[in-house]
Amino acid sequence: MKKTVLDYALKIRLPLTLFVIAFSFVLTYYISRAERDGVGYSPDQPINYSHKLHAGKMAIDCQYCHIGVEKGRHALIPSVNICMNCHTVSRKDKSEIIKLTQYYEEGTPIPWKRIHKVPDYAFFNHSVHVNKGIECESCHGDIKEMDKVSQVRQFTMGACLECHRNAHDNLPYLEKVNKGPEHCWACHR
Amino acid sequence: MNDSSKTNNVLWKSIEGLNNDPNIQKMKEDEFLDGVTEDFHPNQLSGISRRKFLALLSASAAITATACTDYQDKGEIIPYNKRPQEVLPGTENLYASTCNGCSLSCGILVKTREGRPIKIDGNPDHPINEGKICTKGQASILNLYDPERLKEPLFNNRKISWNDVDKNIIEVLESAVQKGKEIAILTGELTSPTTKKVFDKFSEKYPTTKIYSYSTINQSTRSKAWFECYGSYEFPSIKFDEANVILAIDSDFLVNEDSYLENMRLFTKRREVVGKTDFNRLYVAEGRMSATGMMADYRIRVSPDEQYNFVMSLVNELSKKGSNIEFDPVTKSMVSSFSINNFSKKIGKEKLNYLIDDLNKSRGKSIVYAGSTLSKEVHLAVNLLNEVLGNSNLYNYLNESVVILPQSSREDFDRLIDSMKNGNVDVLIHFGSDPVFYLPYDFEYQSSISRVKTVISLSESLNESCSLSHYVLPLNNQLECWGDSFVQTGVYGLQQPVISPIFNTRQKESILLTWISGSSSNFSSDNYHKFLIENFTQTVYTKLNSFSDAKRVWLSSLHDGVVTLKNVEKLHKKISQSWIPLLKLAKENSGLTVHLTESYFIGDGYFANNGWLQEVPHPITKVTWDNYAALSPLTAKKFNLKNDDIIEVSVSNSKIKIPVFVQPGLSDKTINIEYGYGRKVIGDVGKDIGINPLQLISKNHFETKNILTNASINKIDGTHKLVTTQEHHSLDDTFVKDFHKIRKIIQEGTVEKYQKDPKFLHEHKHELFSITNEHTYSGNKWAMAIDLNKCTSCAACVASCNVENNIPVVGKDQVGKGREMHWIRIDRYFSGSPEDPIASNQPMLCQHCDNAPCENVCPVNATNHSPDGLNQMVYNRCVGTRYCSNNCPYKVRRYNFFDFRDHFADEYYQNNLTALVNNPEVTVRSRGVMEKCTFCVQRIMDVRSTAINEGREISPNEVVTACQQACPTNAITFGDANNPDSNVAKLRNHNLTYHVLEELNIKPNVTYIAKLRNTHSEDNS
Repeated sequence: MKKTVLDYALKIRLPLTLFVIAFSFVLTYYISRAERDGVGYSPDQPINYSHKLHAGKMAIDCQYCHIGVEKGRHALIPSVNICMNCHTVSRKDKSEIIKLTQYYEEGTPIPWKRIHKVPDYAFFNHSVHVNKGIECESCHGDIKEMDKVSQVRQFTMGACLECHRNAHDNLPYLEKVNKGPEHCWACHR
Repeated sequence: MNDSSKTNNVLWKSIEGLNNDPNIQKMKEDEFLDGVTEDFHPNQLSGISRRKFLALLSASAAITATACTDYQDKGEIIPYNKRPQEVLPGTENLYASTCNGCSLSCGILVKTREGRPIKIDGNPDHPINEGKICTKGQASILNLYDPERLKEPLFNNRKISWNDVDKNIIEVLESAVQKGKEIAILTGELTSPTTKKVFDKFSEKYPTTKIYSYSTINQSTRSKAWFECYGSYEFPSIKFDEANVILAIDSDFLVNEDSYLENMRLFTKRREVVGKTDFNRLYVAEGRMSATGMMADYRIRVSPDEQYNFVMSLVNELSKKGSNIEFDPVTKSMVSSFSINNFSKKIGKEKLNYLIDDLNKSRGKSIVYAGSTLSKEVHLAVNLLNEVLGNSNLYNYLNESVVILPQSSREDFDRLIDSMKNGNVDVLIHFGSDPVFYLPYDFEYQSSISRVKTVISLSESLNESCSLSHYVLPLNNQLECWGDSFVQTGVYGLQQPVISPIFNTRQKESILLTWISGSSSNFSSDNYHKFLIENFTQTVYTKLNSFSDAKRVWLSSLHDGVVTLKNVEKLHKKISQSWIPLLKLAKENSGLTVHLTESYFIGDGYFANNGWLQEVPHPITKVTWDNYAALSPLTAKKFNLKNDDIIEVSVSNSKIKIPVFVQPGLSDKTINIEYGYGRKVIGDVGKDIGINPLQLISKNHFETKNILTNASINKIDGTHKLVTTQEHHSLDDTFVKDFHKIRKIIQEGTVEKYQKDPKFLHEHKHELFSITNEHTYSGNKWAMAIDLNKCTSCAACVASCNVENNIPVVGKDQVGKGREMHWIRIDRYFSGSPEDPIASNQPMLCQHCDNAPCENVCPVNATNHSPDGLNQMVYNRCVGTRYCSNNCPYKVRRYNFFDFRDHFADEYYQNNLTALVNNPEVTVRSRGVMEKCTFCVQRIMDVRSTAINEGREISPNEVVTACQQACPTNAITFGDANNPDSNVAKLRNHNLTYHVLEELNIKPNVTYIAKLRNTHSEDNS
């Protein structure tokens, strides 16, 4: 039987093309998974604030600014009046502080770019985690070394459950730690 | 056969059900009502509306725009600039205030999140309502976020600035005074002494001012009767908890009349099954069927126009057996002309003898209480009867009613309208009132209003009076207001704003204060606040004898929301008998009697635009979104009427056309119509809902109030579909005939039986076993217990659940298809004959069964069980097969056939303003998912996180669900069944507990406490 061009296309070219397409899709899907989940996201902020300087070098306690973290669901981005506790006197001549002071005096809030986010159907509570002794770094990465904050870990349900199921492995610094709850209404309601 | 099963043998839900109506049978066979699954033909749907088209357009634009931006972008996070010290985002704040929903002025606690109010509950420190608030109060939060609130001041329907308003009106007021023309202020019932003071100042500044007060819900007949008997308009409250026998005369004192939250609490203190069963006995003599009537141990059908004769013949009968007071000779002869024999035929000798016997035996420990819709004569007779029985020691003089501004009389209004017609009234101010809707039609108020030069309406939303006014001035909602209240002696309530005015509105007192100041520039937003503090310092602070300074006392009082003033109990006065000779045997009326009662949920019409309240099913008939003329089955038969027929009700010269609802238990002479409906000028939700029966009241009825005798009815063509949820979500099974009877959904007994044999309920219990191993719950296990002895079917739980759990309003057409979304419903069953039924109520909600049948049929595992015993529902997993609802024996699962916020009344509640009412702790469900009661999992998780944060265990009764918090009688108990110290664990082991459909062995976690009736026999009568 005569081999036609069509035969060749159907038997060799088509499966090959399909395989390449599928393979590259799967490959891209897995490689880009972390990025699609926001890992490495590090947007420019309206004020060039450095956690490395404040939390790292000057070792200011996280809760000096993130006042809600022990009390409620949200850690809270500090309101400008907290910044002004120090910056009414310190480094008033720096350009970023001038910007900050301007925000404060005009009474407009600072539109920080959001970096970490769980979907709104998940009700994450900071306080229960922090009060159990889990350190901020366990989820947010080594903030003390970041000039500009970026997302280090995934914030997916899989990531939550990984830690809830294997708390000992993920939080080796905690001697007494139970597994976290795994039922639906622990987070969704 | 045991007795409880005997009662159950005749359990029925509606007359149609009792008569085996084929439609009802079909309804029970089918999972969904007719037409529910068939209306999804795309070509039958309405075309895309302009709004929808624009929404689609902007959505597609938004999608395109997002595609071009950074896909990792998560938006902005915007903290406060200067954070208010008390606001911590994500945590709630509670503020004590006072409710303005009606004249009871209950203390409330408003829950706010990030500065916006999201829930109203009762203030536990308030001595009258003790932490509870009624259905209306619960749902009133929606009024704050009503999209059709007035937002700007209007002059002849055009926007105008407040400054111009003040300037113009001050000019008008001054010129009126100069010309000596009257300035009339019409207000509703006044509860605030400080507002009264503002009125006084206003009259001082503008001396031609006259103030009129009128409200359809009032205590004027009770108050006047009290005056004639004891020389004081201020009547005491009643110690219902000390009464062994209570006779309610056409009074809904437990659910919708007078100080009902307090009454309910006191009454159910004597319905406690834990410990000694020291039950009171409730007799209700009424023409209509009220929620209080459903609670009665003995219900006696007496038409309201016969009540006077009835009470007087009781006086006669009981005074023969001895009297606590000496009768004057005139009184004696008067009283003896009333004979009980007329009634023993109608009521039945047995019931009447029980009543007379009980009242006689519990002299000094019983109370007779008349409804506030009854005429003065009945109240006089009731006062006399209580004196004959020596019941005056149950009067609580420590908490007397306070009259701040008495109701204006008929003569006052006649005078006002005459001067309006003669052009002697220059300015008319509707001070938050709506006289065009409420005043009797033949005052001709509406037509005389055009003769007044300037008409000013102060209102929160448009009403009938606004449409005839020159100036329409928008008012603050109650949650944006300062204020105080003094409705019972000894209790002074304070009201504080919990949110700053959302729109360009002002507080009504503040508007008057600006006009008093004489210049528009004198307005400041805190003028009434200052005035209130000043008045507090002068009048309340001085009485407190406090060592702290006035400011500190003010702030601490504001924090508590209520100040308890020391009060000296007045001595009981002797009853005057001078009024008795004026009274004669009331004439027997041959015609029908119309009894107008206030709507249970929308009040006098103030709440008509509140979708949540319109949709709460009526406690007895379960009708939503309508009012109707309730007729007894016999009367309906006589006139050849059935449900939904339209009749014309005529009383003297006025007529209304209204649909019929056949109501078992009504007296054959009575037509019961609820008012508050039929508003013509109001928001889209309440407009033209129902019929306004106030049109029947003429000014001649100003004294006799809501009882209209000699009415006639005739059937007219056409029908109006009334939507009732009564037969929806029935616990039924086509294969089991007479399901309720066999499956013992309602189990009851009598006090006598229970005392003889506490375990009578469990006599015929079967041992249940399971072929699989039982799951053990090692940690918490959440469970609920509902005490049916205490449930009055007031539906506060339903409203509270709606607010807490973001339950949408679906509208009348959707309720008609059985698509109401309430997570908790109150099932009402009747037993006995349709003429004189016995009612049983049962709140029904998700039972969180241990072996939940819904769980194993879900193909996607969207509903499953949590380790703490909750039946979880995961919205994101749900694909909407509705198998779970099909398999649920209790029929408590609700399916979102639409995104109801989008679907109801052309997206009425789908806007940025109304979105603020949503509880941020609960997901707002969209179309296509199943939902149901969660046992308020958000509250469980909140308590749990607090316990974790504080490093302790959850204490036994720490979690309080929304329905439990709202329940005025504490019929609902919630807690950890695994903790033996919790109330719920104790109740689960009580002798009277049972589970509904226990024999399915699905192990429900809602335990019911069987109702005991305090009748004279071991049998339910």
